[in-house]
Amino acid sequence: MIGLSLGLAVIGVSLGLGLIGFSAMQGMSRQPEAIGKMQTAMLIAMAFVELVFLLTVFVGAGSFK
Amino acid sequence: MGASEAGVVDVNLIMDLFSLKGFLAAASEHGGEATHHGLSFVGLAVYIILTIAIIFAFLSAARKGFSPTVFKGRAAQWSEQLYLFIENLCVGIIGPHGRRYIPFIITLWLVVFTSNFVSLFSSSAPTADLSFDLALAFISVAYVQYEGSRANGVLGHITHFSGPKLSIALLPITLMIFMIEVLSELMKNVSLSLRIFGNVDGGHRAADAVTELTKAYYIAAGSFLLPIKLLTVVVQALIFCLLTCVYISLVTSHGDDHGDIHGDDHGDGTHGDATPAPAH
Repeated sequence: MIGLSLGLAVIGVSLGLGLIGFSAMQGMSRQPEAIGKMQTAMLIAMAFVELVFLLTVFVGAGSFK
Repeated sequence: MGASEAGVVDVNLIMDLFSLKGFLAAASEHGGEATHHGLSFVGLAVYIILTIAIIFAFLSAARKGFSPTVFKGRAAQWSEQLYLFIENLCVGIIGPHGRRYIPFIITLWLVVFTSNFVSLFSSSAPTADLSFDLALAFISVAYVQYEGSRANGVLGHITHFSGPKLSIALLPITLMIFMIEVLSELMKNVSLSLRIFGNVDGGHRAADAVTELTKAYYIAAGSFLLPIKLLTVVVQALIFCLLTCVYISLVTSHGDDHGDIHGDDHGDGTHGDATPAPAH
């Protein structure tokens, strides 16, 4: 059961990160001169999405034991 | 689980809600029920001293190259790049009066980055320990409260949590907003600490798990994760400093414009008269 819940969490996080990368690629291809700012913003957004996953793994799934 | 005495909730009950009880250093003192998974206190102190030694070595090497005209030596130029980077961050997020927070943010960045860097080369590091990360988060949030109190006064800082000024008829809503804001302020500690802890300790666990595959052939396959771990090392240091800047900007929006701009706004981003050396 824990494996299934972790798997669902991973699906959500992967989709989120993929969407961030997708929009970042689109933006970078439309305006190559703003690539630096977009890279920074993309990394910042990725850190927030990763945080949700880490909360799930350490705080959520660990409390089942 | 339950109260240890009638009507008294002990810390174990609260800590059981979060499974991280076993990660905090203080857990090893609770009769051994959830022993600390990481280093002992002395072991962690050794790594902290290593981190401090690396920071001091870098900064003392940089000091030799400081001069009023052109910085000589690689360490001095790197430290100038670090200063410009953090200054860009602070001034861009907080505004022109953000310069006074640059020393604190640079220190935070150096500590977090060096500890994360140590974690790439050894199986334990200061930031791989939840107690250290929690301490860093407490320091950061406490500094934000201190700066907010200094800018707006203690009473002004506390009423800042009650949100927009509504009419007296909407007092229950104001109370609810106040409670949610205070809770969110407390959750900032949790999110700040868990972010770094998860990334650094997760890097260690991932390297362990990948090495399990090729353990029989004495190949450490986990070391191929080093590029990804290097990315998270740099990004997490940046995120910690950026979030601290964002929290500071939330509480000091033009609160302390008056007394501290004497001579702080000269120049165009370089300190003193130093001009950036051309990149080789």
